[in-house]
Amino acid sequence: MTWYYWLALASLAICVGSLLFHTIRLIKLGKPKDYSNPIGKPSAAIPYSFTGAMSPAKKESAYLHMPTYTAGILYHLGTFLSIFIFLIMLLQIPITGLASWIIFGFLMITGVSGLGILIKRMVKPQMRALSNPDDYISNLLVTIFQFITALALIESTIIPLYFIVASLLLLYVPLSKLKHTIYFFAARYHLGYFFGWRNVWPPKQTR
Amino acid sequence: MEKISKETIEQGLKVLRQPKDSKLLTHLNSCVHCGLCAESCIYYRTMPEAKFIPATKVDLVASIYRRYCTFTGRTMPKLVGARDLNDETIEEMVDLLYGACTMCGRCNTHCSIGVDISYIVRMGRAMLANMGMVPETLQKTVNAALETGNNMAISDTDFVETLEWLEEDLQFEVNDDDAHIPLNQKGKTMLYTLNPREPKFFPLSISAMAKVFYAAGESWTISTKMYDVTNYAYYSGHLDESKVIVQRLYDEMENLDAKNCVLAECGHGSRAFRWEGPNYIEKKFPFEVFTSIELMAQYIRDGRIKLDPSKNPDKVTLHDPCNLVRSGGILNEQRFILNSCVMDFVEMNPHGDDNLCCGGGGGQLAMSEYNERRMKISKLKADQIKATGAKVLVAPCHNCVDQLTQINVYFKLGVQIKTVAEIVADAIVLENSENKE
Repeated sequence: MTWYYWLALASLAICVGSLLFHTIRLIKLGKPKDYSNPIGKPSAAIPYSFTGAMSPAKKESAYLHMPTYTAGILYHLGTFLSIFIFLIMLLQIPITGLASWIIFGFLMITGVSGLGILIKRMVKPQMRALSNPDDYISNLLVTIFQFITALALIESTIIPLYFIVASLLLLYVPLSKLKHTIYFFAARYHLGYFFGWRNVWPPKQTR
Repeated sequence: MEKISKETIEQGLKVLRQPKDSKLLTHLNSCVHCGLCAESCIYYRTMPEAKFIPATKVDLVASIYRRYCTFTGRTMPKLVGARDLNDETIEEMVDLLYGACTMCGRCNTHCSIGVDISYIVRMGRAMLANMGMVPETLQKTVNAALETGNNMAISDTDFVETLEWLEEDLQFEVNDDDAHIPLNQKGKTMLYTLNPREPKFFPLSISAMAKVFYAAGESWTISTKMYDVTNYAYYSGHLDESKVIVQRLYDEMENLDAKNCVLAECGHGSRAFRWEGPNYIEKKFPFEVFTSIELMAQYIRDGRIKLDPSKNPDKVTLHDPCNLVRSGGILNEQRFILNSCVMDFVEMNPHGDDNLCCGGGGGQLAMSEYNERRMKISKLKADQIKATGAKVLVAPCHNCVDQLTQINVYFKLGVQIKTVAEIVADAIVLENSENKE
C-alpha cells in the first residue's frame, strides 16, 4: 500500500478517535438533572427535535433563506457522500462507469453549493463580522474535498492528491468547528429534552 | 492596560470550567456561524447590525470558552476566533448579553443547528454576575428582593393596608361581607403569589384574582412575608441569589402548610420558580406548582366559575409571554379562558410558541440604560397589535403588561391592557349574590 493511503488511514484514526473522545465526554457528563415536575414527554419531543422541528416549514432559518438553506442541504449531502466514497476508496472498491459520472455530477453541484456559501460569508459584511478564520478554512476544505472526490472518480492520477486533501480535512476536523458533526446531535437532543419536559414540543395547535 | 484582576477573571471562567452536565459544552461547541438566526431576533430585525445577530451573542461566550478550555483556542486563538476575557470583552458582553437580549428564546427554535442561544446568554450573564458586572439597575432590583422580600421594596405595612383596602373593595363588588383576601392562613389549598408590581401599581389585578377565588369558593391565602413571584436574579445570572429567592417561597409554602403554590401572571417568575427553582435548590418540590392561568382554566372546565362573554364585547387579542408559552408550555389554557369570557378573540401573527417578545423580558424593564433600544425593538409588537384591530390586549404577565403599557403610549395604540384575571373577573357571573357591577 502507498504512503498516502497510510496517511489517510492514520488521519481517519486520529479524527475518529478525537470525535469519540468528544462523544464519550458528553456521555460521561450526562444530561442535566431536572428536579422540576415535567408536564410533557421528552421521549416524544426528542424524535420531533430531529424530524419535524428540522422541517424547513418550521424554521425561519430555512424558509426565510431558501437559497442558502437549499445550498446548505446539498452541501451536507455532498459531504456525507464524499465521506462514504472515501471509505470505499480506503477499502479499494472501485467505482466506475455511469455511477462514477453520476456521483461526479452530483458532487460538482454540492461543491458549487459549498462555494456559494463561502462566497456569501466573504461578501456579506454581517457574515464577515460573524466569521473567524476557521469558518472560512472549514468551509473551503470541505468544498475542496467534494470537488477532489468528484475528480478522483474520473481521473485516477489525482488519487495521491485526493488522499492528501482527505487527510488534511480529517486532521482539521477535531481542531475546528467541523466537530459540530458530533455536537449537532447533542444540541438537538438537549433542545428536544428541554422543550419536551415543558410540553412545548411536540408542538400543539392553538385553539 | 487591563484593569480587571486575574481573580475576577477566574470567577467568570468558573462557569465555563465547571460544567455540571453536557448541556453547556454542547451548545458552546455547536454554533457554525451560519447567521441564519438573525431574522428571528427582534433586536436584529429592528437594528440590522452584526452585533445583534444571536450567533454573535453566542460567540461572545463561546470564544472565551475556546480560549481557555480548548486546545486550539489555547494554542492558536486567532484561527478559531478565541478571545481573552478582558475589559474589552466584558464591556461587549454586558452591552449585548444584558442590553441586547430579552432571552425570549425565539432564536432557539429557529436555529439551524438547535443551539439553545438564550441558555448561552444566561450562562454569559452568570459569568458576568460572578465577576460582579451585573448592571447596577438590575442588581438594585435583585437587592431589593433580597433585602425586603419583594423587588419593589414595599413595606409590610403598605402591603397589608393595600390588601385590606382591596378586601373592602371586593366585599363591595361581590356584595358579601364574608368575601376575604385571607392573609397568612395555614393549611389552605392554594398559596397565591403576586408580582410586586400589583400592590404597587396595578392593585386591581389582585382584586380581580380575589374575585375569581371567591367565585370558585377556593381555599386560599396570601403570605405577607413572601408573596413575590418574581426572581430577577434569574435575569442577572446570579445563581446563588436566585436560589435564596426560590428557597424563601419554598420555606413559606412549608411554613403555611399550603398544598399548592399558585403563580401569579408573571412569565419569568413562573419559569424561575416552577422550572428553574427546583434545580436551583436541587430538590423536588413536595407541593404542586401551577400558574393562575391553568387554575382559572380548570375552574371554568369544572364549572366552578360561570362566565358571561357578553360582558366583554370588544375585540380582544392576546400577547403570549415568552417564558410562559415558549419556555413554559402554557399555550391553550389562556386561549380557552378567553374564548370562554370574551365575544371576539383574535390572534396576533405570529402567536403561540412563535410569538414575538414584547421587548420587556430579560430584565430589560429594570435596566433603564437600555430604554431607547427597548422601545425601538417594541415596534414589532406594536405593529402586531395594530394589525389585529383589537381594542383590548390581554397579557398573562405583569412584566409584559408594564412593557405593553409603555408601547401603548409610545406608539399611540389606544388599546386597553388587561391581565387574564382582570378579563375573567369582568365576565364572572356570581350566582349567590347580586353583582353590583
